[in-house]
Amino acid sequence: MSDNRQQLVEMADALFADLAGLSFVDAWPRLEEAGFGSLLIDESDGGFGGDWGDLAAIMRLAGYHALEAPLGEHVVALHLLADAELKTPEGPLSLAVHSGGGVPFGRHVTAAIVRGEDGVCLKAGKISEATNPAGEPRDFVEWDGLGAQSLEIDLDILEYLAFLRVCQTAGALDAALALTIEYCSERQQFGRPLSKFQAVQQSIASLACEAAAVNCAAQGMAIALDSPGHASFEIASAKLRANAAIKTGCALAHQVHGAIGFTRDYPLNRLTRRMMGWRTEGGNDAYWSERLGCMVRDKSGAQLWDFLVRRPG
Amino acid sequence: MVQTFSVLPFETPPAAGNQFRRQVREVVAPFVERLPPEKRGNCWSVADPECSRTLGRAGLVGMLWPKRYGGHEHDPLTRYIALEEMLAAGAPVGAHWIADRQTGPLLLRYGTEEQREKYLPGMAAGELYACIGLSEPGAGSDLASVRTSARRSGDGWVINGQKVWTSGAHYAHVILALVRTEKGSERQQGLSQFLVDLDTPGVSVRPITDMFGTAEFNEVFFEDVRVPDAALVGTEGEGWKQATAELALERSGPERYLSSHALLAALVDSLDDNAPPEMTALVGRLVADLWTLRQMSMSVAAKLARGEDPTIEASIVKDLGNTYEQELPLAVQAVLDLDLADNAPLPRILSLLLQTSPSFSLRGGTREIIRGIIARGLGLR
Repeated sequence: MSDNRQQLVEMADALFADLAGLSFVDAWPRLEEAGFGSLLIDESDGGFGGDWGDLAAIMRLAGYHALEAPLGEHVVALHLLADAELKTPEGPLSLAVHSGGGVPFGRHVTAAIVRGEDGVCLKAGKISEATNPAGEPRDFVEWDGLGAQSLEIDLDILEYLAFLRVCQTAGALDAALALTIEYCSERQQFGRPLSKFQAVQQSIASLACEAAAVNCAAQGMAIALDSPGHASFEIASAKLRANAAIKTGCALAHQVHGAIGFTRDYPLNRLTRRMMGWRTEGGNDAYWSERLGCMVRDKSGAQLWDFLVRRPG
Repeated sequence: MVQTFSVLPFETPPAAGNQFRRQVREVVAPFVERLPPEKRGNCWSVADPECSRTLGRAGLVGMLWPKRYGGHEHDPLTRYIALEEMLAAGAPVGAHWIADRQTGPLLLRYGTEEQREKYLPGMAAGELYACIGLSEPGAGSDLASVRTSARRSGDGWVINGQKVWTSGAHYAHVILALVRTEKGSERQQGLSQFLVDLDTPGVSVRPITDMFGTAEFNEVFFEDVRVPDAALVGTEGEGWKQATAELALERSGPERYLSSHALLAALVDSLDDNAPPEMTALVGRLVADLWTLRQMSMSVAAKLARGEDPTIEASIVKDLGNTYEQELPLAVQAVLDLDLADNAPLPRILSLLLQTSPSFSLRGGTREIIRGIIARGLGLR
């Protein structure tokens, strides 16, 4: 763990709480000013010298406060560029799994890292705007090949996106749980708070279980990324667990809230709509279950266990 | 701000590395090999006294207890590693499981010197087995309704009443019974714990045939059973507190998510690189859950070892772990085209777990009770 994590987390928590509900345009200058971009850059290169555990903690808070910005994408992009010793463009950066659609905040960023022949691409003029279920930009971008630089590193953009979305889901589910507890402790029906009904308590306990599983998976994945060797196994496991938790957790949070949860003004939708999008982004269940299954299916049962216990964590 | 789960890294003790894991695997291997394959499922309910004695000789029972009582003074995380290796291998560890996990630690915490000297060395040797007398015909999840009574008589006590669903009483040597020592007391008040030798006159054990045709749990009857004062464990009237503290010891261990592991192992054994996509995907999904649960369980173990009290997190591990080990056989059945009458290991393990797995969320506190504990921890009750 980086020595400064506690401080970092407290700063991020206060700032993101302040930025909650703000659009990208209003939020980004404050994020830029706070200097998160250099989180994964070595101290010797003027960065914060943080680790993946730090980024996981920050992204959990971004998910908790429904931060509307590609902060994680930006941090990872800067890290990849620094690793490849490439020139860093000014302004916000993003990650794109493939050329074309679904680029987080594509209309706002100056460049994105995309896998393919082009390597790093600068944004070209033509952008078709599109949004994810939460209304966040996921734009179609035509890449300007002239601005491309070749990125000669072992790169799996999908893994990085999966990492970010798992961490955000950990925070968003905790926030949905907190809202649910608060709401049902105040809302009275049949002469008592909803929280006093056993059926409601059981649902909320299940929501807490799902949130806890993703929080553990996110931290376990970060520990693997901060350890020697590849962390594909942990990322795959954590993303699958997060996707399952989104399915169960969002349904429970809405069920306990009833109609109020579906109003625009009530903050639950800012969490659940985002999570519904994240369940697809960074790889869905079919993608990761097949990839994870392929990692282990040629092992014997005993070898699978031995493989598991030798993983970091 | 709520954070439902924080990870405390599990620092593997230097003496509990891969070589230690190999040693544990080697000790249990012969006992796994001679088992019918389906017994590898839910193996911590399978009693093989010879296996237990062998584990005792190998220093793998009573691992945390002081050496003067036959223990080995190991680190709790070393014990965790030993247990998960036994369970992952499908070893028949049921005979000594309760004594090792619950009764021994309870005696160390509340027992007299005399009780410790009398019982712990046999328990640590894997030779002396215990069972837990909690449930009664009128007291299940509502444990505070216990009516079995102990009354003072001369320099001892006389116990009357009945326990039920007592796992392992048919091979155990002692029962730790929760009884009412204060006449007219209500609910959690006036309860005490007694450790009673099962060969004491007046104690009778009647196995209950379960739905698979085996007898794993029992009725235990107490008819004017005279026990000395030395059979009282801990403080008279403190039985509720002692018994519930003991339950907390058993919520988050590796047995809460590994009861169906033998089936996953057999499934993976049957696959290779030519496995059909739906089977590959199934294994992927199950392994993701397994990895997550293991991380959670180990983190709680690390917190317990550091003296923290992760009550909610431990209950969460049990709820999610039970759900996983129940879902596993159903998920395999849904994807795999198997003849359940086939005598091969995979269908035999599957067939057994399809029947036993509904009990996984009953033992050690029902799912509803566990979720109630979580809800209380969240401030809802």
